[in-house]
Amino acid sequence: MIQVDRRLLLNLDWALLAFSLAVVSIGWVTLVTVSAYGFRGGLPLRQLLWIALGLVVLVILASIDYRVWVTYAPLLYGIGIFLLGMVLVWGRSAQGARRWLAVGGVGFQPTELFKVIFILILAAALGGRRWATWSWGSLMVPLGLLLLPVVLILKQPDLGTAIILLPVAAGMLFAAGTRGRNLGLLALGGVVASPLLWIFLKDYQRERLLVYLDPGRDPLGTAWNVAQSKIAIGSGMVWGKGLFGGTQSRLAFLPERHTDFVFSVFAEEWGFVGCLLLLAGYFVIVMRGFEIAEKARDDLGHLLAVGATTLLAAQVCVNIGMATGFLPVVGLPLPFMSYGGSAMLSSLMTIGLLLNVRMRRFMFP
Amino acid sequence: MKSRRRLAVLALVTASAFVTLLGQLWYLQVVGGERLRELSERNRIRVRAVPAPRGILYDRHGLPLVENRPTFTLSLVPREIENREAVLGTLASLLGVPAEELAERLEGVPPSSSWPVRVRRNLSPEEVARVEEWKLALPGVMVEAEPQRVYQDGRFAAHLLGYIREASKAELKEQGRRPGDLVGQSGLERLLDHVLRGQDGGEQFEVDAQGHPVQVLRREEPTPGAHVITTVDKRIQEVAERAMAGKNGAVVVLDPRSGDLLALVSTPAFNLDAFTGPLDRESWLRLIRDPATPLLNRVFQGEYAPGSLFKLVVAAAALEEGLFTPFDRLQCPESVEIGRSRFRNWEKVDQGSMTLYEALIHSCNTFFYQLGLRVGIERMAHYARAFGFGSPVGIMFPGERAGFVPTPEWKKATSRGRWFPGDTANTAIGQGQVLVTPLQVARFMAVLASDGILWKPRLVNRVQDHAGQIIRTEPSLPAGRVGLSPLVFQFLRRALSGVVNDGGTGQGARLADVEVGGKTATSQNTSGRNRGAGDHAWFAAIAPVESPEVVVVVLVEHGGMGGQIAAPLAGQILRGIFLEKRAALAARGDHRDPG
Repeated sequence: MIQVDRRLLLNLDWALLAFSLAVVSIGWVTLVTVSAYGFRGGLPLRQLLWIALGLVVLVILASIDYRVWVTYAPLLYGIGIFLLGMVLVWGRSAQGARRWLAVGGVGFQPTELFKVIFILILAAALGGRRWATWSWGSLMVPLGLLLLPVVLILKQPDLGTAIILLPVAAGMLFAAGTRGRNLGLLALGGVVASPLLWIFLKDYQRERLLVYLDPGRDPLGTAWNVAQSKIAIGSGMVWGKGLFGGTQSRLAFLPERHTDFVFSVFAEEWGFVGCLLLLAGYFVIVMRGFEIAEKARDDLGHLLAVGATTLLAAQVCVNIGMATGFLPVVGLPLPFMSYGGSAMLSSLMTIGLLLNVRMRRFMFP
Repeated sequence: MKSRRRLAVLALVTASAFVTLLGQLWYLQVVGGERLRELSERNRIRVRAVPAPRGILYDRHGLPLVENRPTFTLSLVPREIENREAVLGTLASLLGVPAEELAERLEGVPPSSSWPVRVRRNLSPEEVARVEEWKLALPGVMVEAEPQRVYQDGRFAAHLLGYIREASKAELKEQGRRPGDLVGQSGLERLLDHVLRGQDGGEQFEVDAQGHPVQVLRREEPTPGAHVITTVDKRIQEVAERAMAGKNGAVVVLDPRSGDLLALVSTPAFNLDAFTGPLDRESWLRLIRDPATPLLNRVFQGEYAPGSLFKLVVAAAALEEGLFTPFDRLQCPESVEIGRSRFRNWEKVDQGSMTLYEALIHSCNTFFYQLGLRVGIERMAHYARAFGFGSPVGIMFPGERAGFVPTPEWKKATSRGRWFPGDTANTAIGQGQVLVTPLQVARFMAVLASDGILWKPRLVNRVQDHAGQIIRTEPSLPAGRVGLSPLVFQFLRRALSGVVNDGGTGQGARLADVEVGGKTATSQNTSGRNRGAGDHAWFAAIAPVESPEVVVVVLVEHGGMGGQIAAPLAGQILRGIFLEKRAALAARGDHRDPG
């Protein structure tokens, strides 16, 4: 099935791949410094294995025509939903949330895989339609495809992933040509329904949101995390404290510093200049993604590229927004940088998807 | 479908999000960088819990039963300690305790934790001074003042109040608990732990290089625990405890008009103080293995044969069923023959014929053997259950015993053989298998005192938050009614008075100015613990007989005769109660009319 076609290799987007790998490397070096601070020694090596595995998956994903993938989307979606259900029943729990499935002794987060599946199924659902004839009835299908996993993911609960599916869906619906007025009404409906979300949340999640609205509320818990993260980032100043110079990180002031708050470690060491460069790197990747969407051969490729790009962009913005105290702490990895195998796989898979669309832009069926 | 315009909008939205992030980073790193760098340099922020003072337990008149006082606690911040062993060694020699004991408290705490761990409570002022002197050599060591329970007399109402201890590993799993938190383990402290404990506050503060606080950055005030107003009368409790000094047993004082428990005494008591500090293995085992079982709350966990107290049940059944009237008579011989055995009276002479009143005040066993056979075991058991025997009183505390009312069915079902008339006779004088708790007896006496109200005794009146706002009130609840004829109740109360005032067995409980009624009992200790170690002495009293205000039940384990041992103690307690009541009344009178 995997066919190496010279034309495909010629059209490979080397720039996208290079920038992604550059950010992955920056992330890995940051992990090395975190573990050099005497925290979780074996981390960088394990992350390296995940990166290698992620690249293999990336190649497989890119090699098979995306239209083939989309034909399998309903099946994949079914499997994804099944896995999300399994997590609720058999999942391993950590800190009050069931997010992990153990596969041969290795923990795996189905939500991460599901992000990619979600892009595929939504593209499949939206791909064949004429945008001028969009009606409310036809909106119900994508809406259903969105709500089912969101409810399951909220049950785990994993607020971050559940929330991140929303901009992805919004971006793809918008790109598919849904009328602006209808999208606006949907957004309004979401706002009205958001109190419903409240009942799904665990106490600690409600607390985090309340803390965001009123930072004086919990000086020891979440507000403490955010305050420490802000101190770490700010104390990096313009030039940073240098590699291995992060005192905040070393003194264990920083919570979750290898996963959700890895950006703070980086910012402390590399300062505003480093952050500027890192954001530029992400920005290039994202803009490249939109360009791939623009140049895609067909609607399907267009939608896939928009989905993949909005997913990456939204994750970057929410994660960094969270670390800088700009957004509430919902718990979400930073693509390519946070420690975590499932997250690394899913980020590299999005890149694989983008490469896939790009490679086949000149091929006609 | 492909729309360049729409794609451009998406790219623009994304770009503006990135710019916003960059702005936020600029604000943090460039504008605020100086200040945040300083904060991170000075290492800088510490957290600590501000413990909530535990709620106070009050008596019915607002007198505190336990109090809090500030005590000094030594805590360690694991993250700040560079050389754990050296610090612990210095502390151990300063405080004169083994270093291992201190190290034990840090077990399982990650060295990176910034939460202070309490390693020793109740430091003396001298110890505090010594630690402060060495502060520079002891990074990561803090001494804090915490409000803590203080007992004037650690044995006062020990069973009722209950002890508190630092949370065990299992208790720490509960939400919101941290190592070193105090948790009520028995009595009211355990029952009401959730309202008494309040909610700890927290503090984020900056410290200098020596670990001294410089400035509080954020503070969340603790919510003090709620206060509990019990139904207990502290003075009556004291009077009752004084009466029981040196004896093993129980006292229950109950108000039959409201079901309020005024005093609950179980002796021997344990010392509450013994539990607050570190309790070593030795003293734990001593408490657990003490043959006098000081941890047992005899009031509702002790089951005893009721002895002659049960004659009141038999009398009530006989009168209500019309099987016997106050005008009928039966013989009170030295012994009667039932089946093939002789059943004796405790008096070795034939006392001739008696009315029911006389039989009750002289507590004639042979009379009641005969009456018991007339009533029959089924009716006896029925009435006993109606009076609340054989089922728990429902005092909210765990471990309450239900007592036992035997029946022929039970005897058969447990393969103890056929029920003989001798069993019925034995039951009629409260011996054999029948078992009651002192609390059940108090409830039973309240039924007689109140013309039939079966109370669910109340121990907590209301719960108030620290500002005095009432959170919860506990109404007094009748659990049922014993629907006997008022004439029966009247007759039984007259007989109770006769026991004390008409030459009966309970003259030791007599008071000069209050008409006391009561029933003596001497229950043979034929089963269970310390079998045959001597009879238990009972006295169950109501006063004043005309309109009873209190029920007093006294049980002295292995005390001997109820009339000789328990009745005078009940008298002593009642004298104290009525002195107290008169003083309170006088005080109220003064208040009303200051002239």
